[in-house]
Amino acid sequence: MPRSLWSGSLSFGLVNVPVVMVTAVRDLDLHFRQLHEKDGAPIEVQRWCSKEDVEVPYEEITHAFEFDDGSQVIITDEELQSIEPRRTRTIEIEQFVEMDEVDAIYFDHPYYLLPAGSDDGSARAYRLLVDVMARTERAALGRFVMRAKEYLAIVRTHDGALMLSTMLFADEVRDSGDVENAAQKSHKPSAKELRAAVAVIEELSGTWDPGEWKDRYRRRLQDVVSRKRKGKTIKAPEPRDTASEEGPDLMAALEQTLAEMRG
Amino acid sequence: MARSIWNGTITLGLIAVPIKVHSATDSHTVHFHQVHAEDGARIKQKRICSKEGKEVPYKEVSMGYELRGGEYVLLEKEEIDAAAGDRSHTIELEQFVDPAEVDPVFYDKTYYLGAGEDGEDAYRLLLDALGRAKRSGIGRWVFHNREYLVSVRAGDDVLVLHTMRFADQLVRVEKLDIAQPSRKPAKRELDMAEKLVESLGKRFRPGSFKDTYRDRVAELIKRKAEGEEIELPEPEEVEATDDLSAALEASLGDGRRKARR
Repeated sequence: MPRSLWSGSLSFGLVNVPVVMVTAVRDLDLHFRQLHEKDGAPIEVQRWCSKEDVEVPYEEITHAFEFDDGSQVIITDEELQSIEPRRTRTIEIEQFVEMDEVDAIYFDHPYYLLPAGSDDGSARAYRLLVDVMARTERAALGRFVMRAKEYLAIVRTHDGALMLSTMLFADEVRDSGDVENAAQKSHKPSAKELRAAVAVIEELSGTWDPGEWKDRYRRRLQDVVSRKRKGKTIKAPEPRDTASEEGPDLMAALEQTLAEMRG
Repeated sequence: MARSIWNGTITLGLIAVPIKVHSATDSHTVHFHQVHAEDGARIKQKRICSKEGKEVPYKEVSMGYELRGGEYVLLEKEEIDAAAGDRSHTIELEQFVDPAEVDPVFYDKTYYLGAGEDGEDAYRLLLDALGRAKRSGIGRWVFHNREYLVSVRAGDDVLVLHTMRFADQLVRVEKLDIAQPSRKPAKRELDMAEKLVESLGKRFRPGSFKDTYRDRVAELIKRKAEGEEIELPEPEEVEATDDLSAALEASLGDGRRKARR
């Protein structure tokens, strides 16, 4: 069971559901420690004052905001806490939305919300929220504060539990209209090309089965470590030739692709 | 739009689509530097060898994978980079799926794609075909010395790429210890809750949610720069609901009053 990262309550009208938040993502990455090549000794990262050239203990460190002209103002953790909203331990549901109205681009980090404590009332209120969101196929939007930052969040049901995802704010999503060389009218495909491309996509279509897709990078990194452990050296592979030499005849490439697929 | 962060080719069968990758997101979090409280001087980090007690330049740093009890397998940074995989700058779309089947929990970061040199026709073809077929393509992308699983879909006149999480990275609900109530919510409670959900139902308008916290941080910085003392308030406690039905009824009453106003 992952540890709790936040605790508070989820409020739905006047119903308060005490919850704890745990991450929904496990860190399976291989972690490395920096070592001094010469003697293999671990490297420690120390914080030094750039003025006095002495090591600074953690208690003597604070934060500063730097203005464009290079001047700065010191902001302490306590001062940052002073601007947290008053109901800082609450996720207040502000509205419900249809899931498919929310573009995937807004989803950031996923967490689970779990009923806090052992009293029956909390467990029932939690179950009520799960059931009503499953029944209405809606997700809830609200805000909360974690680690001195306010987040917009979407709460929905996921396998009988409440899942919360932090969200990006609209001004953190760039305007796709600014992308150079995206869809251009003058490059519209012919009906025949489009039909053939759709046919290729359909040939390669299948059911989404997330378990089918393994993290090959993680496995290769594990291999690198175990080979190195046995005293073998590792060389980076040579890049493969790119497939971009096919030429601009899209229709010919489509037809050949379909012919090969259908054998 | 900022310049591209990666150039390469997406392949669909034998069709090669030259593309340029742009970040689709832009964090606006206010950033602070660490400083020494007594003199306001910037904190810098130093790499110190734990044996010699001396600073170590970056080029003398190797990576260690800890076995147990402080024993390490020593790797060069280049050896770790070698695990990245295929560096051919190609994303092969291996399978196509219905995006409605993919839970958003799998999506991590988002990028926009533009057409690469002489790729406008192929780009438009892929975009239109994905839109027509209502599918997104799944493939692998090697970026910054790491291989990612990605999904490519048709957005609003633009190809959108998401990096994806792997299934084994997600915590399964069965692993969580979720307290079950002694009796399920009553039908009446569920009906009231449904009414409450409906009364709060609205279309999603991303622009209607502003990051007011970011504004408050900016305001705090301004007040502090003008030499103001900052007062620290006490947090409020919230009580858990004892009577679910009463709270639902009161919430609905509240909502109706608001609606009439």
